[in-house]
Order: sequence, then structure tokens, then C-alpha cells
Amino acid sequence: MSFLRLDGLTLAYGKTPAVEGLNLDIHRGELIALLGPSGCGKTTTMRAIAGLMPVRAGQITLDGRDITRVAANRREVGLVFQSYALFPHLTVFENVAFGLRLKGMSGKALEDKVMAAIASVGLTPFAQRKTPDMSGGQQQRVALARSMVMEPKVLMLDEPLSNLDARLRLEMRTELQRVQKKTGLTMIFVTHDQIEALALADRIVVMRNGAIEQIGTPEDIYNRPESAFVADFVGFETIFALKDGAMVTKGEPVPVPDAPAGAAALAWRPRAVTFGEGRFEGTVLSSSFAGSAREYLLDTPLGPVKAEVDAALPAHDLGATVRFDLPVATAAALRRAE
Amino acid sequence: MTRNILAPLTLGLVLLFLIGPFIIIVAASFSAGETLAFPPQGFSFKWIAKVFTVESFRQSFGTSLFLAIGGTLAALILGIPAAYAMSRYRLPGAETVRFMVSLPIVVPGIVVGLALLRYFVIPAGVPILLALFLAHTALILPYAVRVVSASLANLRSDMEEAAVILGASRIGAFVRVVLPNIRGGILAAFILGFVTSFNQVPVSLFLSGPGVRTLPIDMLGYMEIVFDPSIAALSSLLAFLSIGIVLLAERFLGFSRYV
Amino acid sequence: MFHNRAEAYALALPAAVFAAIVFLVPVGLLLSEGLHGPGGWSLSAYVQFFSEPLNQKIFLRTLKLGLMVTATAAVIGYATAYAIVSMPAGTKGRMIGLVVLPMMISPVARTYAWIVILGRTGIVNEALKFVGLTDAPIRFLFTETAVFLGLLQLFLPLMIISLVSALENLPKDAVPAARILGANWLQVFVKIILPLTREGLIVGGTLVFTGSLTAYITPAILGGSKVLMLETLLYQQVTVASNFPAASVIAFLLIAMSFSANILLRRIATARSGK
Ligand SMILES: Nc1ncnc2c1ncn2[C@@H]1O[C@H](COP(=O)(O)OP(=O)(O)O)[C@@H](O)[C@H]1O
Ligand SMILES: [Mg+2]
Repeated sequence: MSFLRLDGLTLAYGKTPAVEGLNLDIHRGELIALLGPSGCGKTTTMRAIAGLMPVRAGQITLDGRDITRVAANRREVGLVFQSYALFPHLTVFENVAFGLRLKGMSGKALEDKVMAAIASVGLTPFAQRKTPDMSGGQQQRVALARSMVMEPKVLMLDEPLSNLDARLRLEMRTELQRVQKKTGLTMIFVTHDQIEALALADRIVVMRNGAIEQIGTPEDIYNRPESAFVADFVGFETIFALKDGAMVTKGEPVPVPDAPAGAAALAWRPRAVTFGEGRFEGTVLSSSFAGSAREYLLDTPLGPVKAEVDAALPAHDLGATVRFDLPVATAAALRRAE
Repeated sequence: MTRNILAPLTLGLVLLFLIGPFIIIVAASFSAGETLAFPPQGFSFKWIAKVFTVESFRQSFGTSLFLAIGGTLAALILGIPAAYAMSRYRLPGAETVRFMVSLPIVVPGIVVGLALLRYFVIPAGVPILLALFLAHTALILPYAVRVVSASLANLRSDMEEAAVILGASRIGAFVRVVLPNIRGGILAAFILGFVTSFNQVPVSLFLSGPGVRTLPIDMLGYMEIVFDPSIAALSSLLAFLSIGIVLLAERFLGFSRYV
Repeated sequence: MFHNRAEAYALALPAAVFAAIVFLVPVGLLLSEGLHGPGGWSLSAYVQFFSEPLNQKIFLRTLKLGLMVTATAAVIGYATAYAIVSMPAGTKGRMIGLVVLPMMISPVARTYAWIVILGRTGIVNEALKFVGLTDAPIRFLFTETAVFLGLLQLFLPLMIISLVSALENLPKDAVPAARILGANWLQVFVKIILPLTREGLIVGGTLVFTGSLTAYITPAILGGSKVLMLETLLYQQVTVASNFPAASVIAFLLIAMSFSANILLRRIATARSGK
């Protein structure tokens, strides 16, 4: 039984469609990542779930109740905005207390609950500060506390980590995961960073052009992408479509008799390319050192190929000719060549 | 470097041109003589004192004060929601609304005054004070919309959405989140509207009747009859009043940010 | 962005409808009055208005004074704004304050001061007499010069303020860079400052021009019936002649000029931001 269900969700800005016929089932307590390039409709989908965006067609069901037309202030859904959207004229305490006061809570009960929420994000000493005086990371925690204190059925976070620097980002990532595991809250967070999605999510929803491209566990998405789009997104850099049992390349088709049944394309990560020996030949276009490994971009009759080898091996100069291979055994078989 | 002398010199002369006349007026207000002249003959407070004894000044000051305060409030009551709708809603015809409310800037005041007199006051029996009130409200409306729009533009709109998600109604979000954050802009609009209305002449020119006149119109009328320094005294008093209000606003709000 | 159309209209329409009723309807009626002849629609009021040589003269004088005030304000405005912008921050703020200050003072008072300066026993005449240049007072009041000075004093601050903000947005090193490349000051102005501050000049120019066209007090006090302008002529046509068709024609001319200036301004502003 799914907890949050999007059924044929269709959204548009005026005449420009943003999301078309989106279906998604989310279970209670799941941590879902919406992953996709900028402009693919992640924010729009969240805003629709929150009730900030009219639904053109389709249905949103939350905890067995159809909320498609329920007003945003009655949905019991939390949203942490990418900009945090804190109230600049209020203190941290009042920001967090905002929703509870609207519910009619006051006095000691209110204070205890608000202070507990502030403590849970580690901001107790800052409760009486005005929010514009705080750092980005602190503002983010305030926004998180403000949403969580309402005990929403679903908490959504729009690119929660993108405005933070690298160190804070890691810290917040752990924090989010900890909070989610502790509270068992159903959470959806948006990101365009695959590493973030893979590290955090129970399941990843990859979006593209306002539709879902693939849904799966991080392992599914990382190891078994279904389409060239997803494969490319998770780091398969060399992709060839299959046609009549052969790879379509820039040059001659390359027959692949042992291709898995039903595969529409084959994809290799740089590390899966055999380097130094094999059926094909290419020249080194560029080479870059990445610590333990070295990456080569090869110009080949098939098209460009990216390969990664152990940095301990002797380096090849630019323009050097090297042999390589694309073994079917190390390839991911894609169901869609797009 | 000739430029280093030239620039301050230009500025000095311009300031003399802009502010000199005002200083002359102030000096003339303290004259002891019977006619307006500069340098003033002697020093006295008699003209300042006289201003307060002229009954028609007292009456027209009251009228102008009423129009400035009432007109500005009415313009804000109409203008704030309009500015809000234009900045926060997908509003088909927003351009038409913007055009309508900015009309009073483009149409000369004297034309409006005449039109109201000829089609509202005379045939429909609209009281002159009401016509003045309507005209002043409309006159201030563009400024109210503009200044409030500017404050709204500086305020991220996702704050209201956040408030709504936390359970506030649309109106609740406006009152609790938007209003506190555009308070400065609203006060700035109020002061700007007040000064504009209080100093306004052309709109009020045709809209005066027995006992109903704005202060500037009354002053114009008085000047045609009497040529003594009391107008200078009144002008100085009003100027200091305006400057005082603006300086206070600047000090407490940074008024100039909004204008 | 909210999407509830009914709410949006409920918020925006009162202001628009108010402006329509108080402005559009009566002004529209007034304008249509100038288009009625004895037998229905006609332009006879316009023909009659412009067949009067005095009216032609007043129309041209209004335009001429408006343009002269605008041009003079632009020249003085650039010099003043440049002086202000090159000052240290604190002084700059105070100077801007001094420039804006007169705008807060009633135009009646500001115009009235010119009587003290230019009148028969005013400062200028007394000074001339004292130096011995004249025996009898010269008439300065009720001349175009007096109106010109009054309008300039009234509207110069608008030009200065517009140019100050335009000059402040000038890229920091544009002028020194041009100087290093060998441009003299005139070339710097024409090739660097003018193109980069064009928008400020246009905003200021429109404000000064429409202000001058539609000012009433200054021509009334400093020009009187000797130097009529369109606004004072309108007042006279209504109060003295009760000639409403003529008043309607003048109203149309005033609105048309003010509108054209504003539309031009918006054109240029959107052309800039649109690219
Ligand atoms: N306010 C808006 N008006 C018009 N189009 C918009 C608006 N916001 C987003 N869009 C369009 O809708 C699509 C999806 O946007 P969004 O949901 O913000 O993408 P994401 O969050 O995945 O980056 C994009 O093509 C974007 O250009
Ligand atoms: Mg987004």
C-alpha cells in the first residue's frame, strides 16, 4: 500500500507543460531522492505535492486521502525551500513556532516543543537570534526544524545541500539521514547531484523532461541503468546503441554476437574499458591525473571513448596510439538507447 | 588641476540656485517691515504669529491635512492589494491594471481637476470636498503602488508560500509575513504621498468652493490680494514641517531607499 | 506566484476601477467635448483654437520653454551630478540630501521666493541700483526669463538625481581607461559618459519636460497673463471665457505631450532591458 501516490500528475506553467503524466508510489518512512538535470520538473513536482501549484490532470493521494484539491495549508506536508524562505523579521524561535501558533498552541507546551525542535538541529544557543544574521548552514537547520516541528506526513526538501560548501554539505547529509532514521519520517529530497542521491536515498527517482525515466534502489540506478540518459547520468561515458546485432558507431557497425537479449544499447564506465590491448585502436586526445587513477579520452573510429586505468601504470603521451577493447561482459545492457 | 575647482564651484552655484530662494523666504519671514523685501527690514516674529491668526489659513490647513492623510490612506488601501496582486499572482491583464493606476502621473492635474468639476461636481452634485478627496487619492495611487511594488520585489515570494504550508491562510500569510517586512516601504509611500498631496496645486485649482480650499490654493489667493511677508512666513513653516518629517523618516527608516 | 485568478482580480481591480472612474471617465468626457461641433463630431474646436495666433504662440512657447528647461537642466545636471558622484560617500549623501530638499517644499513657496528676488524692489533690482547700473527698476517678473528660471529651479533636482544614479552605475574604470587611451574630456563625455548614462538622461529629461509642461504655479505667478502657457491659458479659458471646447483642446494637447514623453521613455527603457 503506498503512502504517497502520484497518479498521472500533469502540471504546466501557463501553456508550457512542466510535468506530464507522472506516476509514483512512495511508501511510509521511505527516503526518496528526485534526481535529474536542472529544469526537468523536480521543483514543480514538489510544489504540486505541497499544494503551491495547480494540478492540471491526475491525482495526489496521501495516507489514503485524495489531496489533489486540498488547500496548501491543510495538507500536512512539509517543504524546505531551496532558499530556506525563513521569515527575516522573526527570531529562530518564532520561525519554528510559526506553524504551531497557527494551530493554536501556546504557553509551555509550545515552548517545550519549539525548543526541542531547535535542540534537535543543534541551535539551542541561537534561539533568540534573528535569522538574517545566521550562516547558510544555520539557516538551513532553522528551516528544517520549522518544517519538522509540524510533524508533516511527508517532508520535502528542495536541493537541501546545494547552497552549502563542501564540508557543511557532508555534515548536513549525515544529519538528514540521522533525523530521517530517528523519526521514521517519509522524506523526498531533490538533487541534481547523483552522489548525494546514491549516498542518501532508499530509492532514487530519475526525472527527465517532466517525466520519470527510472525508479530504483541506488544499486539499481548505479549498476543497472535502463536508458542511455540514466547511464550517462551515473557515469557510463561510452554508450553505443545496438541495431541488428551490431553497435552503431561513428564508423563501421561493430557486430556483437553475444549481446544480451532485449538490449537496445551497451554502456561502459571508463573503468570497464580494457586499456592497452584489444580489438580497437585509438589516439590519446587528453589525459588527466585523478590521484589513484588516470583518465584518457581516446579518439577512435567508433567515436570518443573514455578509459580509466591505474595511475601506477606508465602514462601515455598525447597523440599516442593505444589499443583498447569494449568487453560485453563489463558492459551494462540498456533497455532504451535514448 | 582646474577640474578640482570647477566641480565644487558648479555644485556650489547650483545649490545656491536651488536653496537660495528658500533661505530668502525664511529670512523674509522674520522681517519687521510691512512689505516683502530682502534684506528684511528689522527682525520680528510678527508675520509668523500672523499666520496663525488668519482664519482661512487655519481652515485650509485643516482641509489639506485631511486630504493628505485621508487621500494617502485611501491610496494605500487600494494600492497595496493591487501591488501585491501584480507581484505575486499570475494576473492576466496586469499591464492594463498597471497602466490604469499610473494614469494620474501622465494626465496633468489641472485637466483632472477640471474634468471632475465639470462632470462630477456640477452635474452630479458631488460635494467639492469629496471630489478633492477622490482626486488626491487617485493622484497618490501611482506612488503608493510604485513604492510598495518596489518593497515587494525585494521580498522573496517563497516566504508566503512557506507560511501557507505551515498552515497560514493567504490573508494570514500576508498579515504575518508580508506586512511586517514591507512596513518601511509602506511608511515611505505614506510620507511621499502626504508631501505630494499637501503641496499639490493643479488638481485642486478648480476644486474649491465656499469654505473648501486647500492650503496652497488659499495661499495663491491671498498673494493676489495682500503683499506682506505672511506668505513667506507660512511657506517657511510648511517647508520646515516637510523637511522635519522627511528627516525623521530618513533617520528612522532610511526613507531614501524607497523613493 | 499564486494562481487563483479570482483572488488576483479581487485584489487588483478596486485600484484599477477607482482610477477608471475618477480619471478615465471624466477626462474622456472632457476630451470628447472638444470633438463635438454644432452638428455632431467635428474638429472645429481644434481648427478654431489653432487659427488664433495668440494660441499658436502660447502652444509654441510652452513647447519651447519645456525644451529649454530640459536642455539647460541636462547640461547643469551632468556637471553637478559628476561633482556629486566624485565626492566621498558621506559628503555625497549630504549633497544629494541638499539637492532633494527643495522638492519637499511647496512649489508655491518656491515660486514665491522668485518674487522677492526678481520683483520691482527685489534683490536683483536693489543690487543693480546700488551698483549704479540702473535708476529705474527693470521688469523681470512676468517675462519668459522669470518663468524659465522658476521652472528650472523647480525641476532641476529631478534631473540631477537621475543623472547621479546613472553616473554611479558607470563602470568604475571606464573614464580613466578612456583618458589613458588618449581621449580628451569632450571625447570622454561623448564617447563614454553619454552612451552609458543615456537612460538616466532620458528618465530625468522626461520628468523635467513633462513637469515643465504641466506646471501651473510657476507660469501663473512668474508669467501672469503676460506670459501665458498652456496650463494658465486653460485656467483662463475656463474661468474667464467659459470656453470649454478650447479648454478641451488644451487638455488634449497637454495629455498628448505628456503621454508621448512617457511612452518614449518606456520604449527606451524596455528596449534596453529587453536585450
Ligand atoms: N515560474 C515559472 N514559469 C514558467 N516556467 C517555469 C517556472 N518555473 C519553472 N518553469 C519551467 O518548468 C520546468 C521545470 O522547472 P523546475 O521544476 O523548476 O525544474 P527543476 O527543479 O527540476 O530544476 C522548466 O522547464 C522551467 O523552465
Ligand atoms: Mg529546482
